[in-house]
Amino acid sequence: MARAKSLKAAREYQHRAVAIQQIWLRDFDNRVDRCTTCHLGVTDLLMKGVAEPLRVHMQTAHTPSAFDQFGCSSCHGGQGPATSTEEAHGTAREAGPPMTPTAYLEAGCGRCHASETVPEAPILSRGRAVIARSGCYACHAVRGQENFRSQAPPLTSLPMKTGGMWLRRWLHGPRAVDPNATMPNFYLSEKETEELSHYLFNQPVPWDLAKRIQSAEEEPTGNVASGKKLFSESRCISCHTVEGKGNGSAPELSKIGSSATRGWLLAFLRDPQAFYPSTKMPRYGFSETESRDVVGYMEDELRDFDAPKEILVPIRVNQTLAENGEKLFRRAGCFACHAEPSGSEEKFGPDLNGIGDKKASSLDFGRRTDLSRTLPSWLAAKIASPRSFARGLRMPSYELNREDTRAVVTALLSLGAQPVPEAYRFAPPTAAALVPGGPVGALIGRYRCLSCHRIGEEGGDISTAPLTFEGSKVQRDWLVDYLVLPYSLRPILEERMPVLRMSREDATELADAFESFYLDPATPQDPFAGRPASDADPGEGQRLYTTLGCRACHILGSSGGYYGPPLTDSGKRLKSGWIYTWLKGPQRWRADVRCPNYGLTDTDALRLTAYLSTLQSVPGSTPAGGAR
Amino acid sequence: MKLRRSSEIGVILLLGVLGCSRKPAVSKPAAAPPPEASYELRLGKALFRHYCQTCHGETAAGDGFNAYNLDPRPKDLSDPIFQKHKSDADLADAVRRGGAGVGLSPLMPPWGHTLSARQIDELILYLRVLAKQAGPRGPASNASS
Repeated sequence: MARAKSLKAAREYQHRAVAIQQIWLRDFDNRVDRCTTCHLGVTDLLMKGVAEPLRVHMQTAHTPSAFDQFGCSSCHGGQGPATSTEEAHGTAREAGPPMTPTAYLEAGCGRCHASETVPEAPILSRGRAVIARSGCYACHAVRGQENFRSQAPPLTSLPMKTGGMWLRRWLHGPRAVDPNATMPNFYLSEKETEELSHYLFNQPVPWDLAKRIQSAEEEPTGNVASGKKLFSESRCISCHTVEGKGNGSAPELSKIGSSATRGWLLAFLRDPQAFYPSTKMPRYGFSETESRDVVGYMEDELRDFDAPKEILVPIRVNQTLAENGEKLFRRAGCFACHAEPSGSEEKFGPDLNGIGDKKASSLDFGRRTDLSRTLPSWLAAKIASPRSFARGLRMPSYELNREDTRAVVTALLSLGAQPVPEAYRFAPPTAAALVPGGPVGALIGRYRCLSCHRIGEEGGDISTAPLTFEGSKVQRDWLVDYLVLPYSLRPILEERMPVLRMSREDATELADAFESFYLDPATPQDPFAGRPASDADPGEGQRLYTTLGCRACHILGSSGGYYGPPLTDSGKRLKSGWIYTWLKGPQRWRADVRCPNYGLTDTDALRLTAYLSTLQSVPGSTPAGGAR
Repeated sequence: MKLRRSSEIGVILLLGVLGCSRKPAVSKPAAAPPPEASYELRLGKALFRHYCQTCHGETAAGDGFNAYNLDPRPKDLSDPIFQKHKSDADLADAVRRGGAGVGLSPLMPPWGHTLSARQIDELILYLRVLAKQAGPRGPASNASS
């Protein structure tokens, strides 16, 4: 039936007299798209599954509902005003830039959506994330990334950190040493590796760091069993990995005992921020003995059992080699990531602004006669094997897999020569990060809260809990206890809050700051104010808890699901105003929150709030989840 | 049936109306690379993974991480007989109004206030891909990402 109807409608389209159709976007630089001259069925649901050019357009956030606002070429590229297929699609000899191939279509989203993550454009978002993680902006200028700083560590303590053999292995191919490495492969020759190693070992280690490493080296060996327990309690794999298990945003640790000396590890663990000022690693509150035990465990178990003994022996520097190495350090662009930029110097690599609008005829394909002469294929090859185009090219290889390469090409194609008109620019509302100076700011810095949590628009995404409104969310006394000894709120998550060994004084100072400043103006202090007493009936709330099926995801007492946080202690943990605001719309603070919005009435939400606010475990019992 | 390009405007040849039913992709010889999943299907897959997989399982067989905490357990949504008996509208309705809304277990929450109608359509598009092939135990045909 439906098929017959579709065929009939399609036939009608075919027999319709030819007439130029167009979409005129006055606010988009007077863009004119005549694509609908042939693509007649783009808004016609009967044209589902029909062959092009009549097929209905797929449903997206903008189509088919807002064709007259977005047109076609703003996403698809190509030549909107053209009136022949070849010219419009850009396949004709003299035509302008061609349409964006389907595989990279999300590049179109990125022209207007400038933020790093665009939820409905997963490939574009992934590409932007890969670019940031790979540090491309350290060498290439891109609008909006002027303040980018590479995460590459300063190399000042390297001569006391590792040995010549390890360094040579690393320089030869960082990803073979550590699968989490973000440093690319520079394809150094044996000679270049040697020269660079001598140069790096020729760096003077700053006096105070050298002293710390030296005295740590002389300390007795720690207790391995105790170190192992501490290592697991500290939840290092919330950022690092051990044999691939863990988050992977920080280095793999299964061979750390063979890549860094004991003195360096110990001194670093005690104060990572003194070594790498912009590191994401918090300064744990380990005692002298505890840090020794952790390093003892690393030396004993987290090492490369196949590595020769001399892997950590330093290089005896040959000055000639070191001088050649210094030249190489500049020529290869190592400084772009490993030295503090002064801000005024020119970027090492070419400017990438407008790369998405480059004409294929202006690209140098060099030796790559195998490629089709299009911008996307040039970019994909450039990323997959950057030095295959000509001799003497300097871009290193990031050894990306096919999916990441495709994602990066998509993100690059979104970098247009001109910004889109103001009316089309989309940036999500931003809230400034409220990180104060003074002692509170110093604590947030020391414990590196922002490495995992977000505050406003700043911070990492390892934790699912933003801290922007933490003061409106949790009770102060609970927060103090939690900071001192965090436990797993959501047992399903691999990345859990590390036990930072925070002192009670530090925890209290932080909790007080959250209580005073990190507040959501829309969350009521007392949600029951001015409401009838029946709205605060916990008995009715308990009934709702059962009928709504909350137990599917939440543990309460001894049963329930493992998806959301246990609610056994919700009366001790959460503030009632926040519970109420959450129940009225859990996606209010984070769009990807999985707790469904049940569309509760005010009364039902209040009753459920009343019930959840009464929940407290029996004093003396341990909270669900435990410390691990 | 094949699609041919016409170069002149107006000489638009419609050579084939592709299947209107939502059948999963026909299995291809082993050598052929898996077909590229459409944009909608990719979004549907991402939504399924984000919201559904923990209970319903990666292949929708009802064996997710959290399934063992639920009584009744989630249904095997990849069952071809189940898939055959439920229209897209039935499935969308259950997603929108939840188990309680369609006379089943309240442990399946209603998503109508959280997901848009378009997102629910994408989700069901992906759910159809997860249908196990009827007949001898073939692996569920899966959308590649």
